Amino acid sequence: MSKAVVRKTLVSLAVAGAVTMAQADVVIGVAGPHTGAYAAFGEQLWRGAEKAAMDINANGGINGEMIKLVKADDACEPKQAVSIANRLVDSDEAVAVVGHFCSSSSIPASGIYEEAGVLMVTPASTNPTLTERGLPNVFRVCGRDDQQGDVAASYIVDQLGAKRVAILHDKDTYGKGLADAMKSTMNSYGVDEVLYEGLTRGEKDFNAVVTKIRSVDADVVYFGGLHSEAGPLVRQMREQGLTATFISGDGIVSDEFVSVAGSPEYVDGVLMTFGADPTTYSAGKQVVEEFRADGIEPEGYVMYSYTAMQVVAAGLAAADGDPMAASDWLHSHKIDTVMGTKEFDEKGDLLVSDYVMYEWDANGKYSMLNN
Amino acid sequence: MDIILQQLVNGLTLGSVYGLIAIGYTMVYGIIGMINFAHGDVYMVSSYLTAIAIALLSYFGLESFPIIIFGTLIFTIVVTGAYGWVIERVAYRPLRNSSRLAVLISAIGMSLILQNYVQIAQGARQQGVPTMLTGAIRLDIGDGFVQITYMKLFILFVAFLGMGVLTYIIQKTKLGRMCRATQQDRKMASILGINTDRIISAVFVIGATMAALAGVLITLDYGAFDFYVGFIIGIKAFTAAVLGGIGSLPGAMLGGVILGLSEALFAGLISSDYKDVFSFSLLVIILIFRPSGLLGKPEVEKV
Amino acid sequence: MSQQTKGINIVSALKDTVIAGLLSLIIFGPVVGVLLDGYDFTFQGADVAFIVSIVMAGRFAISIFSQTEFGEAFLYRQATKDDGVVVTAPGYKSRMRFIIPIMIVVGLLVPFIASKYVLTVVILGLIYVLLGLGLNIVVGLAGLLDLGFVGFYAIGAYGLALGYENLGLGFWSMLPLAAIMAAVAGAILGFPVLRMHGDYLAIVTLGFGEIIRLVLTNWTSFTHGPNGISAPLPTLFGLEFKRRSREGTPFHEFFGLPYDSAYKYIFIYLILLLVVLAVLYIKHRLTRMPIGRAWEALREDEIACRSLGLNHVLVKLSAFMLGASTGGLAGVFFATYQGFVNPSSFTFFESALILAIVVLGGMGSTIGVVIAAFVLTVLPEMLREFADYRVLMFGILMVVMMVWKPRGLVRVTRTGFATRKGSAK
Repeated sequence: MSKAVVRKTLVSLAVAGAVTMAQADVVIGVAGPHTGAYAAFGEQLWRGAEKAAMDINANGGINGEMIKLVKADDACEPKQAVSIANRLVDSDEAVAVVGHFCSSSSIPASGIYEEAGVLMVTPASTNPTLTERGLPNVFRVCGRDDQQGDVAASYIVDQLGAKRVAILHDKDTYGKGLADAMKSTMNSYGVDEVLYEGLTRGEKDFNAVVTKIRSVDADVVYFGGLHSEAGPLVRQMREQGLTATFISGDGIVSDEFVSVAGSPEYVDGVLMTFGADPTTYSAGKQVVEEFRADGIEPEGYVMYSYTAMQVVAAGLAAADGDPMAASDWLHSHKIDTVMGTKEFDEKGDLLVSDYVMYEWDANGKYSMLNN
Repeated sequence: MDIILQQLVNGLTLGSVYGLIAIGYTMVYGIIGMINFAHGDVYMVSSYLTAIAIALLSYFGLESFPIIIFGTLIFTIVVTGAYGWVIERVAYRPLRNSSRLAVLISAIGMSLILQNYVQIAQGARQQGVPTMLTGAIRLDIGDGFVQITYMKLFILFVAFLGMGVLTYIIQKTKLGRMCRATQQDRKMASILGINTDRIISAVFVIGATMAALAGVLITLDYGAFDFYVGFIIGIKAFTAAVLGGIGSLPGAMLGGVILGLSEALFAGLISSDYKDVFSFSLLVIILIFRPSGLLGKPEVEKV
Repeated sequence: MSQQTKGINIVSALKDTVIAGLLSLIIFGPVVGVLLDGYDFTFQGADVAFIVSIVMAGRFAISIFSQTEFGEAFLYRQATKDDGVVVTAPGYKSRMRFIIPIMIVVGLLVPFIASKYVLTVVILGLIYVLLGLGLNIVVGLAGLLDLGFVGFYAIGAYGLALGYENLGLGFWSMLPLAAIMAAVAGAILGFPVLRMHGDYLAIVTLGFGEIIRLVLTNWTSFTHGPNGISAPLPTLFGLEFKRRSREGTPFHEFFGLPYDSAYKYIFIYLILLLVVLAVLYIKHRLTRMPIGRAWEALREDEIACRSLGLNHVLVKLSAFMLGASTGGLAGVFFATYQGFVNPSSFTFFESALILAIVVLGGMGSTIGVVIAAFVLTVLPEMLREFADYRVLMFGILMVVMMVWKPRGLVRVTRTGFATRKGSAK
């Protein structure tokens, strides 16, 4: 069978799956910011989860039961997260949730899921507090801010040999958590930052801060935040003639980073930490190609969301649909996903963090650094 | 020294842009006494229009900077002006004789509509425009330097040019006279034969035009925008308008520049974490000592 | 409006339609028709055609409708909406006498018939009722436009969370304390700004709300910044509503009931209902007392009031403080209901929403505020069916409701007074 035929059969199976989704048995919520300032990430979450559900349904569902997805919008507001969590648990009778996106939504919502005995796997909330509270039903398929910060800090200190490091963050749960984690690891290596400042999310003018970075003569700038701020920031740095190395986390993993920065030349040499490339796994490679065939670039959290759905399905399949038993099972078993084999510790965090350094090149593409 | 100078340049460009948007708030407030909360989102729409115009122009093979900037300005100003007119017609005119708070709520609703309509039409993703004008002037001062991009100079030039043209229109032309008459006393103006509804529409269009100018300039300079950018900049511009004395055109520009400078200097010298706290505190302090803003006319209490 | 009563002018309707079509082409053409994709784009001609044809059809229908007799009458009614306060006859007995007891009974029954999700939505609705009532004193009665009301709400919510963390104070001790704290904050804010007029006051209060939020975000050593902080649940005579309790027995074990997470919501709901009813009663009495009348008099004509010897600063300050303390109460309930607070719940949009409740409810009307608070909190939940169009619909409904009823849903009524028989002339 040629590749095209395989794809065609897969698509038709997926369509068949979508049709049978009507008489679904397993309700799974996809909770994230589908509206509001973070809606771009909600879209990524939904795409990954939707495709994963279609693929799983096409392969017979969870022990023969089809997955039905419910889109739940929290707009990244804790208020709406609580309300939507109650709705998922109560009206929609969801047994599991993929989400939420923002840590500030995941934390209040996780308590409600725990009380109701619902499995929760977040593809994106990296704040350590989420799993530190010892809830048995909470898992994450992304790393923790402190793990990511460790990788960045050791790279900055060991590989770059930087002495003057400026740390910026966007005053949000994710960005500040990342910056703080990186700062504390770096300090433990004996390097102190020369600047530690917060930006305002949603602003685009960072010239004042850039000038300040210039005044402290930093040779590395670490930014905890998202590409919407990182793009203008790196551009304004270059425009003011600042050549310091720019390092950030997985918040800038998006092709939009280039278009937001205004030109590939500005992102040239920008470093970032991100999970190992899914295309290095054969299963991941296939899914990535299928996404691209549908005209969707599986960037940012799309693959994480896909993985989260696979974890949910694996757990429910092993526990015959009982979410709390699935939680127990997930704590002690390995799960094969499109992003490699995942294993969770007793808190629900990944046992092995797979963060590595990536570098952006002058063509506006990123690739893994070999080190 | 070089750092302070650079911060002054940063503040001045940011402030001139705040000033342009503040004009929309101040003129609308002056004429019908309402806070047009949707104005920031009109600016946001103009950012999208800028990117659309650039994409269309380069699609037709036009690449040179003057043509692109000129075409983009005209396109964006015309369409944004239409937005200003339609918004006034649909959401505010039916409420002309109602309480000012009713219009305020309608404006908040309009702001939600614009944000979500653009999000649905264009997607929630971050958008950008390609860099058009590169290069910078570099002044060496002592061992340091001040770097000013051509784009920043262009912003300052166009912003003050736009202000100058607007001041001319308001002070010297017939339309401007009618605007001022309507602002003074709407009833009297209509008795004297001025179609005040049309003048109010014109004011909304002018406000939208200035927002469009700001939208083109900022979008070309920062390159990045999304459907949410109107919110923060709208609040800042409104603060600038109040700081300068709401209802006063030069006040809007002055307020914008003061706000921009105070943000840049505070962020640069003390802490960017608290720069907004500082701006708002500055506003409160100025209003305590000058309750009508810097250039606003003091309200006369009539019996 | 034209005097012509008969005959429909199709040509003018068509002209309107074409103009509307052209305008909508200018408005929607670029933004809908050119879908940006990086620095590139794709054409979406069909979408534009669809929207433009809807606009044209709508405009045509409106043009025709406004020319019919019925339409003209409708437009006339819209244009000449009478306004002002309705004053009822002195002896008038409101129908509310019968409605209120029924509402209270229904309110008490809600937790036992509603599902948990509905209950949480109703709790949120009641929290907004409290917020609306608080702001109603400031904006509706005293006429002071406050765009930073969310600051007091934040003080209440963070008061509970921080008081529990640092001082070990629980829900019951923080409930009055938070109200006092918010009132003090109201006084601190109110004192310098009360000599400002109308919209200057609006921007200063907006600034105040933003300052509170920014301090909560940035002062991480105390407030934990954007990570937020957890808030305790209320207790019933020391019984906790948790599955497992660290100290003492939880509620369900004490009464030998199976654990159900709905209990805590029912408990919060019942306390909240009592507080709302108490606040409603107090507000109702206040509007009839000298202080309430002073607020409204000051709103109508400040100069006259000052000439008559009213201490305007004290009157305004009292409105500010009472409003703020109600906001603080709402904050405590919000924090305990959510179990977690972080600064993103206290944005300017929240202030705008509360203001919308007051204005939509009909400035100064207590019942209107209650209705509007439920409309504006339940509506977004009901609109969840519209998925991505939810907030867009909410915005459209806000505009439509304002255009349709600019004076709010409920007209403000005040009972008239007559001199008692036998009193001196």
